[in-house]
Amino acid sequence: MSQFLQPTILLLREGTDTSQGRAQIVSNINAVQAVADVVKSTLGPRGMDKMIQTGPKVTISNDGATILNLLEVVHPAARVLVDIAKSQDDEVGDGTTSTTLLAAELLKEAKPFIEEGIHPQIVIQGYRKALELALEKLEGFSINISKDSIESKRDTLIKCAQTALNSKLLANTKQFFSELVVSAVEKLDPNILDRDLIGIKNVTGGNITDSFLVDGVAFKKTFSYAGFEQQPKRFENPKICLLNLELELKSEKENAEIRIEKPEEYQSIVDAEWALIYEKLEIIVKAGAQIVLSKLPIGDLATQYFADRNIFCAGRVAQEDLLRVQKATGGQVQTTVNGLNPETFGTCGLFEEVQVGAERYNLFKNCPQSRTATIVLRGGAEQFIQEAERSLNDAIMIVRRCFKANKIVAGGGAIELEISRFLRHYARSVTGKTQYIVNSFAKALEVIPRTIAENAGLNSIEIMNKLRQKHAQGGEEGRWYGVDINGASGVCDTHQSFVWEPTLVKRNALCSATEAACAILSIDETVKNPKSDQDTKMKPKGQPGRPPMGMRR
Amino acid sequence: MSLAFDDYGRPYIILRDQGQKKRMKGLEAYKSNILAAKAVANTLSSSLGPKGMDKMLVSPDGDVSVTNDGATIVEKMEIQHPTAKLLVELSQSQDAEIGDGTTGVVVLAGKLLEQALTLLDKGIHPLKISDGFDRACDVAIKHLETISEEIDIQANEHEALIQAACTALGSKVVSKRKRELGKIAVTAVLDVADLARRDVNLDLIKIQTKTGGSVEDTRLISGILIDKDMSHPQMPKEVNDARICLLTCPFEPPKPKTKHNINISSAEDYKKLYQQEQQYFVDMVKLVKASGANIALCQWGFDDEANHLLLQNELPAVRWVSGTDVELIAMATGARIIPRFQEITPEKLGKAGCVKEVQFGTSNERMLVIENCQCTKAVTILIRGGSQMIVDEAKRSIHDAICVIRNLIKDNRIVYGGGSAELACAIQVLQYADEVSSVEQYAIRSFADALEGIPCCLADNCGLNPITSVAQAKSRQLKENNPRIGIDCMELGTTDMKEQRIYETLSSKKQQIQLATQVVKMILKIDDVIAPDDY
Repeated sequence: MSQFLQPTILLLREGTDTSQGRAQIVSNINAVQAVADVVKSTLGPRGMDKMIQTGPKVTISNDGATILNLLEVVHPAARVLVDIAKSQDDEVGDGTTSTTLLAAELLKEAKPFIEEGIHPQIVIQGYRKALELALEKLEGFSINISKDSIESKRDTLIKCAQTALNSKLLANTKQFFSELVVSAVEKLDPNILDRDLIGIKNVTGGNITDSFLVDGVAFKKTFSYAGFEQQPKRFENPKICLLNLELELKSEKENAEIRIEKPEEYQSIVDAEWALIYEKLEIIVKAGAQIVLSKLPIGDLATQYFADRNIFCAGRVAQEDLLRVQKATGGQVQTTVNGLNPETFGTCGLFEEVQVGAERYNLFKNCPQSRTATIVLRGGAEQFIQEAERSLNDAIMIVRRCFKANKIVAGGGAIELEISRFLRHYARSVTGKTQYIVNSFAKALEVIPRTIAENAGLNSIEIMNKLRQKHAQGGEEGRWYGVDINGASGVCDTHQSFVWEPTLVKRNALCSATEAACAILSIDETVKNPKSDQDTKMKPKGQPGRPPMGMRR
Repeated sequence: MSLAFDDYGRPYIILRDQGQKKRMKGLEAYKSNILAAKAVANTLSSSLGPKGMDKMLVSPDGDVSVTNDGATIVEKMEIQHPTAKLLVELSQSQDAEIGDGTTGVVVLAGKLLEQALTLLDKGIHPLKISDGFDRACDVAIKHLETISEEIDIQANEHEALIQAACTALGSKVVSKRKRELGKIAVTAVLDVADLARRDVNLDLIKIQTKTGGSVEDTRLISGILIDKDMSHPQMPKEVNDARICLLTCPFEPPKPKTKHNINISSAEDYKKLYQQEQQYFVDMVKLVKASGANIALCQWGFDDEANHLLLQNELPAVRWVSGTDVELIAMATGARIIPRFQEITPEKLGKAGCVKEVQFGTSNERMLVIENCQCTKAVTILIRGGSQMIVDEAKRSIHDAICVIRNLIKDNRIVYGGGSAELACAIQVLQYADEVSSVEQYAIRSFADALEGIPCCLADNCGLNPITSVAQAKSRQLKENNPRIGIDCMELGTTDMKEQRIYETLSSKKQQIQLATQVVKMILKIDDVIAPDDY
């Protein structure tokens, strides 16, 4: 066009990067593939972990959402994957890796269509149609457990928790932890199931199976003053006073100043200050409290005062712990002791201070209102416990979901294959391009069993063939065949081998993966503004802790 | 780290600072992790056993420490590598839980990783290896329990406990005096132990060090030792049948916490104020005396005027006693800590048989000993030694010994040391390996080899030929069906560890094998390392 000497029209700031058209979609798809490749090897019971170092901190994780988050993805299209993994994490808590993989696979399947010139919108329509059918089938296939008896339901929950723990570091002790998790969730109020009320405390040292569940609250011994050791450390049915109040000898008002005119008055001022604190302490003692917990510091004077009167106290209790004590014991946090009412005291069956590894823990057990539970995790290394905590978190979320949703499907790739079979069958009955696209959707679903098999070091082609054949037989028989990583044949009925997952996980995974794929397919232009000057100036500061040697020269 | 290219071969920027990140995948990642961890284990391996060598570590400030304790070595090495750090934590968690065997656990983890490396080269999936290790670990633990023996800790004046303490002390710099120190440690622990609950609160054993003298002068004080002396040199050096007043308020006129100032307008007022201040001192001393106390320990200081007054009133006093000491004394003497002079009552005083000042060597340093406390539940071990380095190391060694004794009180099952327990487990694991039909068989067999690495390492450190001595011990174990045959490190002429009386606690051995397996499993599960470029 320039040969016509038309003036160039500058629409955008210099340095702006624009790209558009089909090539743009294809390049976005490639970027998404690259990110999905990173998490691919974490899927399934033989999935591996990633070690990511960010600054001085090292994280070892198997959790898709955690890994993607730590990768610090900046590519705009690839960020979509990070977002769906996060939304899956927030919504369901598990299945983040499979969601990411599914989205990437859907895009990969779409790539040839785009390259051949099929309009992206047609692909999107086809995917949406396929999703609709897939969800319908998913509901149809899932097994309702709401009518089961309580025991068998508990059993189901344990199975689901085990499936979630399968790919994690805890896989060998999944039996132990799944029971722990289910017992913890059962403690919660079944109507709300507030996740925050299950506390997880980490103590390094000991074996992982030394972890235990406290039916109530546990927290680490807080900082204590001299005299603390003389306090009793064990109570049965104590009265627990919860405070948000400082119990220390100190100036009451920050900027107050006292002018003393006569030396005789001196003593009275001193006495007045002591009287203030003693008054507070006396009220607490008179009200009959046996355990005093405060969010704010409890000073040495108060510690000794309580020790003299056989009262246990702990200051600087973390906010969340205090809240959970409140929930568990049925007490109420007071901000003043004036008019302290014994009715606001909580109680529990047993309070004691115990040694856990190198730490001392305060345990509140057998709480009457017990709507909270605490899991104390033990293990060799810091990173080990952190990863264990993340894994347990996944399991807790799954059990919570299962508790509510009451519907399960078999895992190990079985449900994906069954839906895939159905969609392939359905595709033949439609005319037009949609036929291909629904077929691709069906093919993309196979990525889950395939990756599980690949990660386990099995021959994925052979396994896929076996599985397709089993599913193609139709009916109830072959429906739940999935990848078996232990057996010689490589396939088994995963429903019978108790690889169970809540339907909700799959439902959410399918929905968000399809949505993400559609979103990326519908982008045909990216306008990337150049970095503002401020940003470039900031850049050297972007790497804290490095000596600025390389920058001079 | 470039992840993808577009159609024109231009790389995408997908991650922040992509150019400065490095990524290692698959086999490369396993190998680099394993090698880093092995490097740490190799450093420690020469410290294992009774003839193990010490390491000298210089801190960034130039402080030198010489030690044989695994946890201390790896802690002071300030390791940066993330995988190697896992081993540091491994050692520390053994320290926190058991207190002993911190070197052994790291060496075992190193041996396991070495075996894993050869298995990886054979092309075995890392998770199969870790599964195999896990199964082997279970077998080993079960076997440990079957070969363990219950000992009677009471018998023969706690002889078994002393022997176990000696084993723990055997590898340390103080090994020459291990019997004496072992006895001290045993008495100390038994003094504070709650035998009914099988619990020992180690906070009640205070370990105080003082350079000078020799290790033989180390002794146990059935009471508390504080590094303080009487506030006035003319005060009596010894108070018998002491009634102790523990104060957390200074011998000073009380100060209000609120900001205050005193306006004095006339000379009379000033005089009055002075008199009032004097009166405070008199009143304070009077209050203390009135309660019947004959010694006062104060968490804070007091000025010279008060000091003089205390001397005049024949009330010995100690100032600046630290908060933890105050608490310990309170526990031991049954005293109540008194925050205000007005609250002193006779019931709140603590009682002790004797409070006296002791002097060491020719230096003018004195310490205060509180003996025969009313509720004597606190003891102090006073460690002496030629130099700061020696007493520090002796302190760590005694800590190890105390931990061993505590563990025996908790669980009185023992296994025999000298590598015999590991050898017995190795034999058992090897037998089990042949029954496994899958790929794990190789991993299980390697686990046995790794276990044999411990006696090998022991023999090596003692200057014996590792291969021959391990082979001999192994064949004798099998022939005589005697799991107590180990390495004769001390060259006493017998390889039966029961005769040599090398005792180790079952809990420590169990924990070592479990923790090492756990960490190795974790390292084997990492197939991808993403880190800044200079990693």
